[in-house]
Amino acid sequence: MMKARGIKKAGVAGMVALIYSAAVQAHDPVFGLGPHTLFKNATEVHLGFDPSRAGRNQQTRSTLEFAYGLTANWTARVELPYESREKGPDGIGDVGIATKYRFWRRDALGVQESSTAFLRVKPDTASSGRGTGSTDSILGLAYGYESRKWYRWAAARYRFNGETGEGLERGDKLLLDLVGGIRFKQTAYLEPDWVWMLELNGEMTGRSKLKGVRVEDSGGSEWFVSPGLMWTLRNFAIKTGVQLPLASDLNGNQEATDYRARLEFEWHR
Amino acid sequence: MKHPFLIIAAALLWSTMAAAQGVRYELRVDGLACPFCAYGIEKKFKKTKGVEAVDIDLERGLVVVSAGEGVQLTREQVERIVKDAGFTLRSMTEKTLP
Repeated sequence: MMKARGIKKAGVAGMVALIYSAAVQAHDPVFGLGPHTLFKNATEVHLGFDPSRAGRNQQTRSTLEFAYGLTANWTARVELPYESREKGPDGIGDVGIATKYRFWRRDALGVQESSTAFLRVKPDTASSGRGTGSTDSILGLAYGYESRKWYRWAAARYRFNGETGEGLERGDKLLLDLVGGIRFKQTAYLEPDWVWMLELNGEMTGRSKLKGVRVEDSGGSEWFVSPGLMWTLRNFAIKTGVQLPLASDLNGNQEATDYRARLEFEWHR
Repeated sequence: MKHPFLIIAAALLWSTMAAAQGVRYELRVDGLACPFCAYGIEKKFKKTKGVEAVDIDLERGLVVVSAGEGVQLTREQVERIVKDAGFTLRSMTEKTLP
């Protein structure tokens, strides 16, 4: 029973850590992956708050991120999370390092279309009881179309989960995102700018294994509809959104996600 | 003897006035969809020596760079700045300010 609870906790923590590791940037979707990279030599500071609830498991993850534009197409990022859980110890979570490389771009008058490859590695750096307890990595591809009025994005990410010290192998995960956005009013350069978004986020998780034995209460799929908003003023951005469950097909006895929310502040120079 | 001095003085005055004239560069830039991203252009140009002001018109894809006296931006230099900011330079015109 204790073991099963531990597995569930690890599963929820892993799920939350995964979702809040998208290395998001302004004018990228709130929850999905977008293709944006920073301009060359740009530095970015990013502060995010991510409350979520799945049944009796409630947690808030706060993340401080620093990013640097190595070139106009290549960005590197470090993520420092702090986890606060209703049940369990609060403290610093697993540190993440991520990079994005924009390998294709098409520019036209008031339009930018691009595609990006994404890699994130999250070593097991947190103390016991926090983080996922394993070294995990995510590979992703994102496409984005951005114009003065319309936005659209599509992305796929695959997460390779490592094994914890207790012999738990959490199932790998596939994430899919489809996002549309609109700027109702085309504001001038120095005016506050609003973009409204609607995301469809899907998560498909494989079954976990404990010391080689399949865990019945693990894996499955969840789909979310996620309204979001980004507000920017020159080089400062605020983004917010909420993920609401649309459909869920989880194996065995698992707590489905009730909601996930996100609030982010971003500043680059 | 007075005439050569007058000519030299007039030439000096003219050259001083000419040097005091600023230059305005009008750049057609593709890819300018959002103001947050366009900030990179402003930042990059403002770090360039002699650049005094940068105005961006997103609807027209126009970036106007005002440079001070004696400052000359080459096409290669401007192209590099726009590229490093993550956009594409389409055209560039130069106007000497009166």
